[in-house]
Amino acid sequence: MLSALGCSTGHVGDPKTGLSAGRRGGGSGDGAELGADGGAVVDGGAQSGPYVGSASAARRLSRAELDNTLSDLLGDDTAPASRLLAEDLFAPYDNDYPTQRASGALIDSLETLAANVAPRIAHDKTLRKKLVSCTPSSASDASCFSMVVQDFTRRAFRRPVTKTETDAYMSLLAFATESNDFYTGVELLIRSVLQDPEFLYRIERGTKTSDAQLFDLNDHELAVRLSYLLWGSTPDAALDADADAGHLHDAGMRVAIAKRMLEDPRARTQLHRFHAMWLGYRAIPQTPALAAAFSRETSALIDRVVFDEPQDYLNVFTFDQTYLDDTLADHYGLPRPSGGKGWVSYGKSGRAGILSQGAVLSAFGKFSDTSPTQRGIFVRTRLLCEQLMPPPPNVMADKPPAGSGNAVCKYDRYAEHRSNASCAGCHSLTDGIGFGLENYGLAGVYRTHDDGHPECTIAGKGEILGVGTFSGPAELGKLLVDQNLVQACIVQQFLRFAIGRAPEGNELDALSALSDDFGAAKHELAKLILSYIESDAFARRLEPK
Amino acid sequence: MRKTKINRRTVLRGLGGAVVALPLLDCMLNEHGTAFAQSTSALPKRYAIVFAGQALGGDDYAHDQQKVNGTNLTQAGHYIVPPQSGAGYDITTPLRPLAKLQNDFTLVSGMRIPYSLTSADPADVPPGGAFRDFHGGGASPLLSGMRSVTSNFTARGITSDQVIANLNQGQTALPSIVLRAQPSFYLSGYSFAGRHRMSFAGDNDPIEAQDSPATAYQSIFGNFMPSDAAARAAFDFNQRARRSVLDLITSKRKRVLDSVGAADRARLQRHFDEIRDLETRISQMPMSGGACARPADPGVDPGIGGDNAGSGSDVIATSTGYSGEHERARVMADLIHMAFVCDLTRAATLQITTFQSHMNVFPLASYLDSPVALSREIRADLHEVGHNGDAEFRGQLPVSLMLQWHLSHYAYLIDKLKSTSEGAGTLLDSSALVFMPEAGHGRHLNSPSDTAPRTHSVEDMVLLVAGSAGGLKPGKHVATSGAHPAQCLLSAMQGAGFAGDTLGEVTGSLPELFG
Repeated sequence: MLSALGCSTGHVGDPKTGLSAGRRGGGSGDGAELGADGGAVVDGGAQSGPYVGSASAARRLSRAELDNTLSDLLGDDTAPASRLLAEDLFAPYDNDYPTQRASGALIDSLETLAANVAPRIAHDKTLRKKLVSCTPSSASDASCFSMVVQDFTRRAFRRPVTKTETDAYMSLLAFATESNDFYTGVELLIRSVLQDPEFLYRIERGTKTSDAQLFDLNDHELAVRLSYLLWGSTPDAALDADADAGHLHDAGMRVAIAKRMLEDPRARTQLHRFHAMWLGYRAIPQTPALAAAFSRETSALIDRVVFDEPQDYLNVFTFDQTYLDDTLADHYGLPRPSGGKGWVSYGKSGRAGILSQGAVLSAFGKFSDTSPTQRGIFVRTRLLCEQLMPPPPNVMADKPPAGSGNAVCKYDRYAEHRSNASCAGCHSLTDGIGFGLENYGLAGVYRTHDDGHPECTIAGKGEILGVGTFSGPAELGKLLVDQNLVQACIVQQFLRFAIGRAPEGNELDALSALSDDFGAAKHELAKLILSYIESDAFARRLEPK
Repeated sequence: MRKTKINRRTVLRGLGGAVVALPLLDCMLNEHGTAFAQSTSALPKRYAIVFAGQALGGDDYAHDQQKVNGTNLTQAGHYIVPPQSGAGYDITTPLRPLAKLQNDFTLVSGMRIPYSLTSADPADVPPGGAFRDFHGGGASPLLSGMRSVTSNFTARGITSDQVIANLNQGQTALPSIVLRAQPSFYLSGYSFAGRHRMSFAGDNDPIEAQDSPATAYQSIFGNFMPSDAAARAAFDFNQRARRSVLDLITSKRKRVLDSVGAADRARLQRHFDEIRDLETRISQMPMSGGACARPADPGVDPGIGGDNAGSGSDVIATSTGYSGEHERARVMADLIHMAFVCDLTRAATLQITTFQSHMNVFPLASYLDSPVALSREIRADLHEVGHNGDAEFRGQLPVSLMLQWHLSHYAYLIDKLKSTSEGAGTLLDSSALVFMPEAGHGRHLNSPSDTAPRTHSVEDMVLLVAGSAGGLKPGKHVATSGAHPAQCLLSAMQGAGFAGDTLGEVTGSLPELFG
């Protein structure tokens, strides 16, 4: 029986070349097996030519962004959006706005959300201090309510508000008077603002430039871009003050502010989230305890390489230490750290870098086991940004390959992927990579033979076709770095996350420039982020014709 | 019966002057309880689809073959389709929850969605047919009678429930109710990508389902006035507050839309339109008369389970991949029942599990009524049950038990409607309720030259139609020879008042359902 990853080699770029038209599929690997989302694509698309700005469309806050925002804005740490709204469609990032679509169900759920959050905040003496700085003299204290309205709408809409706008909310004071409770007015204010598109969406207007299609974003809009990119949340008071002072449209000052924001713990959390979605380990098939331990391990590596000891980001693929506690060390069969938790050297274990870690090795399994094909797809689509076409319809990919005769060992069961020419075209691109990681099981534990089959010794030899051979994650990581295969893709993944959809048109042209900057900056990830933030393109939006 | 002068055409003025149809009250019926008093028009007809994201059998196992408790077992009676047709057939394992309701539904078997045996080219998909990739390819023809030409999960035309919703446009407070019990995809690294949609207003124009029982309860019954005075005052206050809160948003619609670029405008306009729709629905509905009553508040939703730890028997965990779908489906069935009683809507869909559902079936063990004692729980996700995910439980019986679990919710809804009197009969008399599994069991759609029976098949499909709306005559097994499932849907739709004879590219209902 065929179990195939189908694709036409014509759709897969040569891994050795740089970006090309054939490699525009950054992160769309999900489509390779599970099909693209049927949601309407709203965006008009970017255009070819120099990268002067990205076309955009109002992006609705994802559940995670909404929860972060509610936490920062109101002190609500109960993650109500994740409890009450429908799942985001990850593609692979949660902020992919073409997958978002307003619906009656969403509107109902948002009313539920607002009705859930507002009373918990408004009628809690401690929590409401974030909103109400005055002491109301009566239930219908208009001046106090007006202060609350002005302050809250300013922060929630993430821009200055006019008196006409804030005056409208004074009508809610009638409900406070009727119920003889000032905080009923506050509750309804929250309820209204939380259902307001100007809160739920990031709306960018900007000022038209001499080019009719190009708009300069204003300082507050730039503050919002910065905060949702770097923190996945709303601007704080310091950033608001910078926007009010007009600092953000100046590229140099913008970078200085962004550097300050990267010092904030929220920047780390956001970068962890980005990696988890990019590398597919945001939800892995492990117990919650093991998944959490894996996540701590991987986050520690990201923190060290990006923040604590800023260095060549590509080191995440070759790093010779990992952060473990005793339990995780035992799990891997690595030496325990001194003091119960800490950095442990990989030594000659054959492991190095993020590809050795349980989080990444747990992702992209299939049939309750590692899948050489899926791991190959992972490397091709997520790390090399290649696009693989889905299997041709006449093959079935929902059962493990059986192989011919009485094949038992996995390598033999996958033989047809190699021997049948119609399979091999694509599987030679993927399976070769996956078999080089086969010694590392679905939970990241080293194994010498197939699970349950001692007679099936795993050779563990892998190959990136046309690039070179390797054995195990340390050698794979080294190969990817030495052959300069991942630099451009990292930039592409970052840009996709930043603009909320796959780069296209002039954005693809910009990737090579950004990628050059990344190389020139010795691949420091923070510098890549800052050079993007510094660019004119970050500070503008494009209105398609 | 108490008679007062309320005309069915009476509409309720909401606080902002919006018009809302009244719930159906006994006092609106004629002396015989067979029609509306004022207009003598017939009682409303209701249409619902209950969907199960699974097939009818397991991969490579014949209908009398299974592995149970680790041992191969040849035993018939577990496949849903009985050997007899007509009335009085043997109740098979999946149908056990429906045993007492055998005269209230028709089992329609032997259906198939057409496809090309020789070509996988999209251009060769026949009308109403399936693109030769099961996951995605089967959805559009099943739901809308329109052929699929890609493996995207979507419908390329209006779905049957929305045809009925359009038929009753303006007659009820809600055009349709679209609910889904499975709130999460559960497959690590992936998201629904369309598998969670089964109701479409038109080509690739989905009606998103509500997956929260609590929010569904509020959105369907939140406008019903409580009976006691104190609660009524609070209700009145809250309804006015809701409207004022939304007024503040809708009043800025033009200003916001005028200030943004074209792409933003399109997206935000859609959002504002939906808010306006919500605001229009805010009203104060009287709640008196007969069986129409606000159902019990379902309370806080069951928690969302995390992604599955593994998909097969040796690794699947007990606690992940499940969000209380059993309880969620029950509440949703209760809501649909009462929405029908009160005539708040006449079209409903309940997607218990999604297409290609990866829900963990481990937690369902206590709900299964197995004729063969099971030595332990079945351990796999729903999709893998069909693909032999549990080494000890494979083939027909485990798949049938999952189907039985889905059918238990369908039976629950039928039973509730049957137990509710309306006019001279019961609510079931004016209902057409479809049960729709995702797949049949037969030749693999992707690889039809391979003739071993597969789950990924649009051959030998089955639908159930309960109720006797519009002259439907339930209580039998109708074995077709390759009818299109949309023909069966057409029969149910006609029972629910649809005058046409075409759904998508499929024409001709099945007369046996009326005879």
